[in-house]
Amino acid sequence: MIEIPCPTEADTAAVARKLAATLRPGDLILLAGGLGVGKTLFTTGLAAGLGIEEQVLSPSFVLVRQYRSGFLPLVHVDVYRLRSANEFDDLEVLDLGADGVVVIEWGDALEGELPEDHLRIDFVVEEDGTRLLRLMPKGVWTERDLGLVA
Amino acid sequence: MNPLILAFETSCDETAVAVVRGAETLSNVLGSQVELHARFGGVVPEVAARAHVESIRSLTHQALNEAGIHPADLDGVAATAGPGLVGALLVGHSFAKATAWARQLPFVGIDHMEGHLMAPRLQFGDFEPPMVSLLASGGHSQIVHVDEWGEYQTLGSTIDDAAGEAFDKLARVMGLGFPGGPAIDRASDGGDPAAIVFPRALPDRPFDFSFSGLKTSVVTFIEKAQAAGELPSLADVAASVQEAIVDVLVAKTFNAVDETKAPVVGGGGGVLANRRLRHRFAEEADKRGVTLVIPDPILCTDNAAMIGVAAAHWLAAGRITDWTENVDPGLVLGQPLT
Repeated sequence: MIEIPCPTEADTAAVARKLAATLRPGDLILLAGGLGVGKTLFTTGLAAGLGIEEQVLSPSFVLVRQYRSGFLPLVHVDVYRLRSANEFDDLEVLDLGADGVVVIEWGDALEGELPEDHLRIDFVVEEDGTRLLRLMPKGVWTERDLGLVA
Repeated sequence: MNPLILAFETSCDETAVAVVRGAETLSNVLGSQVELHARFGGVVPEVAARAHVESIRSLTHQALNEAGIHPADLDGVAATAGPGLVGALLVGHSFAKATAWARQLPFVGIDHMEGHLMAPRLQFGDFEPPMVSLLASGGHSQIVHVDEWGEYQTLGSTIDDAAGEAFDKLARVMGLGFPGGPAIDRASDGGDPAAIVFPRALPDRPFDFSFSGLKTSVVTFIEKAQAAGELPSLADVAASVQEAIVDVLVAKTFNAVDETKAPVVGGGGGVLANRRLRHRFAEEADKRGVTLVIPDPILCTDNAAMIGVAAAHWLAAGRITDWTENVDPGLVLGQPLT
């Protein structure tokens, strides 16, 4: 587990940018944390790091948004509204992102149903309102060098 | 020439069918899926597509019956080509194409956002652009300058959440239902819009929106107020949240009106059904002496009459969609259908 304090929004985006440089096709990232904590902001930074030119918009209304202009495709998902793993399977998100990176907001709720090889990132709100990112690598991710991200 | 059009709109969660003659609505029927999706707190694409399939045929009969039109009288058939949910779009688009093919009628695919831009013509007659229009819903928030019909410039748009999405999420924070816009609109009755001053985002970008900062600010405010036992009334919180969203939408739209000197200001999308927003638009338009063309809420939310009026315009101008053209879920206003 790696903990990275992010006093400002720019810090959160910078962590995401650095993480982007380490990503490979088929990578799965789960973002956990409440409303307004910075999950979409983080994904915006990740997209910038992947060289994606389009504006990353919230996926909450449409559930899934895809970006293909970067050096890896990005599939951005919000599963807050889904009630079951079946509904998630219907979206075929993992197939869509097989050749790229899948980022799932509120993904912690589905963690048990998803492939074991993933990176979970918890967004913790500190008492002073700043954020702490807690990176928890699972499966093959435990062998990745995440030292560069911090 | 005022073509008689059978029109379909199935881009999201409303199955809508209409018959229009030019800019005159002969029927405008809707099979709402709101109750179906309320359990999920929002629209679920697969659920929406299946529900469209189940209701489109009977709604078509209803639309033709209410209009008193026999399919043999039609001049064309139209459907939304995008943007929207791909499965949902395909239902209306395929059904419309098949109907047109069977009747040997021209088919016209319409951009959903152009439908919203043209919807005011159904109510206000043939006003002419240039016009500035605010398109705001669960999936979109943008300010468009209509140079003339078919020539659209997007002056600004959201950089994170759509306005309707912000309403939905903030309603969730306040423990109100889905859809969030109407829920906050109702909850704010009797509340003081100035009770809590939430931040107005992107003051340095005149036409763009951002609602993620507001979200964070409301969550933080409610948590702190709850911890201190000083939570204001729900009406005050709702009215203040609504004011923060409405204020930005109004300010940026009228920035565009002032900048372009457009003589007409309009709007479309579900957020334009908000009572406070409509009131503020009326005030600002009145102040400037510009013509306000925001139609009744039923024509602001998704409907097929708006697709019909756009299709009638293009059919009269000789623009027909090729049979090979498909839906485009990522269609961008002003760019050709692919």
